[in-house]
Amino acid sequence: MRWLRHPILYWVVSIGLGAVFVYASLDKIAHPLDFARIVYRYRLAGPSAVLGVLPANLLAVVLPWLEALVGVLLITGFWRREAAAIAGALLVMFLLAVGYVLAQGIDVAHCGCFTVGGEGRSAGWTLIATDLGLLAAAAYVMLGWPSDPVPGRKPISAA
Amino acid sequence: MRRLRIVVIVLAAAVLGLAWNAASGRGLALGKNAYVREGDEVIPVAEARARLDKGALFLDARPLAFYEMSHIPGALPLPEDDFDRAFAKIEPRLRSSLDVVVYCSGFGCEASHLVARKLKEKGVPAVVLADGWPAWTDAKYPIKEGPQP
Repeated sequence: MRWLRHPILYWVVSIGLGAVFVYASLDKIAHPLDFARIVYRYRLAGPSAVLGVLPANLLAVVLPWLEALVGVLLITGFWRREAAAIAGALLVMFLLAVGYVLAQGIDVAHCGCFTVGGEGRSAGWTLIATDLGLLAAAAYVMLGWPSDPVPGRKPISAA
Repeated sequence: MRRLRIVVIVLAAAVLGLAWNAASGRGLALGKNAYVREGDEVIPVAEARARLDKGALFLDARPLAFYEMSHIPGALPLPEDDFDRAFAKIEPRLRSSLDVVVYCSGFGCEASHLVARKLKEKGVPAVVLADGWPAWTDAKYPIKEGPQP
């Protein structure tokens, strides 16, 4: 498993994960109203009689920027592990949300993962598999394998 | 230190998001339902009940299976996912109704807004019941079970 500690692999995974997060944020940032409508369909943050629309709208406004910021940090390597920790937390949140709508039989139709318009991907098992893969990548970046001593190779800094 | 950085990242995202929402010109009103667009008329459940008593026509925009389980008494099914066919069946009744109220599953459901807009395009003005079916049942208003209106 020494190859897992190779700095190039670490950077590739970190930059790749960051690129996915930046890409996922762009359409949502450009169309917050459409993203809010998708957030509503999950029926987790509202709107509801108890919560109203504010939590869902705040999530629709802030979440894309959090994805963008985390993506940029992962790409640049600045506060990389912290960004990976947030990416992991977000992916766990996405997994719980998709699991919830699947368990409840709610047809979200458009998951709002990368775009907010058009057909989009539905919230299903393929999406869960994708999110699990990204979660593994986030865990790998967060654990910072290259900082462990590897014979013959200079470890990269944890930023 | 790590936790502080995480808090800083989350706060920075919140500030950026709120600033963009306020300044970009394409933001959403934080206290307003994103399903409601300009031109939509939404009425509270108490007003809907009063309109029902005065003979308003209610339309159920949920999938037909939900309508057949239970619906507002007198409501006709007009599922958003089968709009054209269902509309053709009840068009004469719709065109003779002066007061039309559309509802769906409430909260996370956009179907009532979509149906009301489609009706408007066809020249049938309709209002939307705010928070839909859950608001009606929470208010303990009468419901009808089965496929008959």
